[in-house]
Amino acid sequence: MQDISLHLLDIIENSVRAEARNIKVRVINNLQKNRLRIIVEDDGTGMDSFTLEKAQDPFYTSKEERVKKVGLGIPLFKQNAELVGGSFKMASEPGFGTVLTVDFVLDHIDRMPLGNLKDTLLGVIVGHPEVDFFINLIYRDKSQEQVFHFDTKAIREELGEIPLTYPDVIEYIDQSLFEGIQNTNMEDV
Amino acid sequence: MKTLADLKKIREKAQEDMKLRGGNVRIKIVVGMGTSGIAMGAREVMKTFLEEIAARNLSDVLVTQTGEKGLSSMEPVVDLIEEGKQKVTYGNMNPDKVKKVVVEHIVNGRVVSDYVVATGD
Repeated sequence: MQDISLHLLDIIENSVRAEARNIKVRVINNLQKNRLRIIVEDDGTGMDSFTLEKAQDPFYTSKEERVKKVGLGIPLFKQNAELVGGSFKMASEPGFGTVLTVDFVLDHIDRMPLGNLKDTLLGVIVGHPEVDFFINLIYRDKSQEQVFHFDTKAIREELGEIPLTYPDVIEYIDQSLFEGIQNTNMEDV
Repeated sequence: MKTLADLKKIREKAQEDMKLRGGNVRIKIVVGMGTSGIAMGAREVMKTFLEEIAARNLSDVLVTQTGEKGLSSMEPVVDLIEEGKQKVTYGNMNPDKVKKVVVEHIVNGRVVSDYVVATGD
């Protein structure tokens, strides 16, 4: 994976496979704290402590036992954060869901770029009509805070029976995300 | 700035459209979005399908994402599912191939056999 937005896509797909119906995604670009924080919270099946540990272990691949249902995506993301001074925390509770918090040091010279957040979010929103997404993009520096909120539940209420894959709706979501990413200075992080 | 009020207009237009054609989904596109698919460019494949659908106003096509399908060496992988027809799986996809599949298969109904890696269930 070349950037954070591709890892984020991989993580969200894990949530969908874990039968999540509501997924919250927060990206916080905090200049004051010199930190880029990604939080993904789902209400999927969750994992017990054993599975949670194995999910983060790249060397554990006992497919026969079907213990490790997630592949290399999580260990790679963890490694890409920790190698450049960041942190990777995953908490889970069977029957309740999983929360992932990944921190990057914003000005670390070897940090991966955030990448194309818009295409990641557009794909998961349109590609998973059974899931509601709650997206918050937050930008903070010492003089201001910019917040963008996007919520598929509100959109579905307005649209009624019209699906999110309807051409004009795709354009609407694409444009909304574009504006939100610009307003929170996330296009070139 | 996009607001929820914009959606009202879209809804009215879409409802008219649905009345005309009955609201059926003619073709379902499923893009494999597992870890290896993503690493091989599946997100750009998904994005190109969405762009083409919007640009060509293909309101009877549905696009979804799914996990790994055991065809890792042929990622990105895309399934096209049509009512009453065999499922067609395209492999090693990229944005240019997607554009061709949209024109040939989705619009004109001709399978692009060069890109097919599997058919049926």
